[in-house]
Amino acid sequence: MAIAEEVREQAEPGAARTRRIRPSARLTGRRLLAAIPVLWGVTFLTYVVMNLLPGDAAQELLGANATPAQVHQLEIQLHLNEPFWVRYGGWLGGLLHGDLGTSLASRENVTTILGQRMPVTAELLLYAFAGSIVFAVGLAVLAARKPNGVADRISMVVSMTGLSIAPYVLALVLIYIFAVKLQVFPAIGYTPLTASPGANIRSLTLPAIAIGFPLFSVYTRLLRADIVEQMQREDYIVTARAKGVSPWRVLIRHALPNSLFGLITLVALNLGTLVGAVAIIEPIFSLPGVGAILIQSITDHDVPVVEGIVVVFAVVVVLAGLLADLLYAVLDPRIRYERAAS
Amino acid sequence: MSAPLPELLAPGTEPAVARASRARGRGRARNLRVWLSAGFLIVLVCACFLWPLVYPVPKPTGGSILESGLPPLSPGHIFGTDPVGNDVFSRILYGGRVSFEVGVSVTAIGLVIGGVLGTAAGYWGGAVDTVIMRVLDVLIAFPALVLALAIAEGLGPSEMHVIWALSFFSIPAFGRIARSATLALRGQTFMLAARLSGTSRRRIILRHVVPNIMPQLLTFSLLGIGVAIILEGALSFLGLGIPLPEPSWGSMIAQGQGTLSASPELVLIPSAFLFVTVVALNVLGDALRERWAR
Repeated sequence: MAIAEEVREQAEPGAARTRRIRPSARLTGRRLLAAIPVLWGVTFLTYVVMNLLPGDAAQELLGANATPAQVHQLEIQLHLNEPFWVRYGGWLGGLLHGDLGTSLASRENVTTILGQRMPVTAELLLYAFAGSIVFAVGLAVLAARKPNGVADRISMVVSMTGLSIAPYVLALVLIYIFAVKLQVFPAIGYTPLTASPGANIRSLTLPAIAIGFPLFSVYTRLLRADIVEQMQREDYIVTARAKGVSPWRVLIRHALPNSLFGLITLVALNLGTLVGAVAIIEPIFSLPGVGAILIQSITDHDVPVVEGIVVVFAVVVVLAGLLADLLYAVLDPRIRYERAAS
Repeated sequence: MSAPLPELLAPGTEPAVARASRARGRGRARNLRVWLSAGFLIVLVCACFLWPLVYPVPKPTGGSILESGLPPLSPGHIFGTDPVGNDVFSRILYGGRVSFEVGVSVTAIGLVIGGVLGTAAGYWGGAVDTVIMRVLDVLIAFPALVLALAIAEGLGPSEMHVIWALSFFSIPAFGRIARSATLALRGQTFMLAARLSGTSRRRIILRHVVPNIMPQLLTFSLLGIGVAIILEGALSFLGLGIPLPEPSWGSMIAQGQGTLSASPELVLIPSAFLFVTVVALNVLGDALRERWAR
């Protein structure tokens, strides 16, 4: 790395000027540039898949009874008769201007649709993530305190349950227990935050558990394994113990921060795959997020809406990856200094 | 993610004898886990595929409306019947066939195609590696369920299409694992020795690389079957998997959703089978990984 930098320095003296930019800013810039091909690949693949598949939007929208002439007329109206590259180019051009196009089904602006629905999904995911991370850190620390102890065994059983249960099964079991039998949480529906914060949280609790519990299980397993490894392999733990630092303090202040790297990486990776969980869980609870409309749009071949949702999630994944990299530097001074020195 | 084994307690914390006896006990516990989960899976697979051949069960579809909505433990219908009068037990068995067929096929496709791609990427490195991994990266970055939904929806619901759609999950996953396992072998002395002694590339890959990465790939396969079974259920749950009225655990759960408060067993029975099957696969995969990790 260092040699490469030197060579580049000699080749283009102007590069020295960029040195003055803070390393974190440079990293951010580089990561954002590297994200462009991935984002493009994702949008392109979505367009290709949605277009290659049999069936078309005009036919779906008009239903089975439509005459070929009607279908043809709607196709012209929606510009579906134009070649693939023209349509994709037009959509991509619009994206660069921040315009996600209009829905084929409802003729509404995709940005407007996402603006209405994304906050619900975002709140749900935030709730699920915050909950799963907090509980996972707590349980993992308890479990790693004494490997093979009672807490460790409980954590293993709990996380195995979470790893093996399908989200839709968990959702229905939760509805049956907490909404049908105990009636402590509503089974379906969504109350906006502005209407009543308490009811809002209650309406999102069961779906957040259905999405968050499997995540919590994966995080617990990973973090527990990482902490145990730190506690057993690292000299600084021995040093801290020898100095007489209390066991809990060694665990929480010394081992835990050094074990968080795997968890951060995994959380950043998970964000992208969650669009699937959202698509399944939201309709079960009748939440007005992007999940229900995503499935509907795939069925309708409503390409702009599908693309819009996919793009938003892809951008979130890229930003999460970047945030994870910056967090590494916060947690580990070695990474900080290395970057500053390079 | 190589989970450090619990028996790696800090050395010197207990006498060697106690350590050895404890390790033996843990070995027995692990054997018990292997036998219990493997035994359950074998019994379930036999029940799904052989029982209907040996012992007559009612047909899973085309039940009589006169027998609809029977509670569990009714005569002749041990798990009761659904609102259309189909025998739930028989639907569980035939749905289990679908689950196992899809799970095993998806995993086998991933193991073969992903394994070949990953081994090639890891062994040759360079441009081969870059091209293969970029393609797999885009597949991983792509919200895979969206892809699977789009494929299943576009091709129409059928078991074969579900298998193709879900293979888009398994191929990149196996590719990554095969690549990292092969990369780890590249620096090993026996690989160098094989190359220096003039072993052909074909022989190195078949006799040295493949047997060494197989344990990792096979234990991952067990977890992969579990994931594929859950995803097949998800597609069927959304109505894009196995076409109705053919049974699938996922579509049974979806159909029971409407009568959750009146007859929860229609959701809970297939859910329990789905859950216990995946638990057994995960426990078995975990135990085998621990055994082969040393």
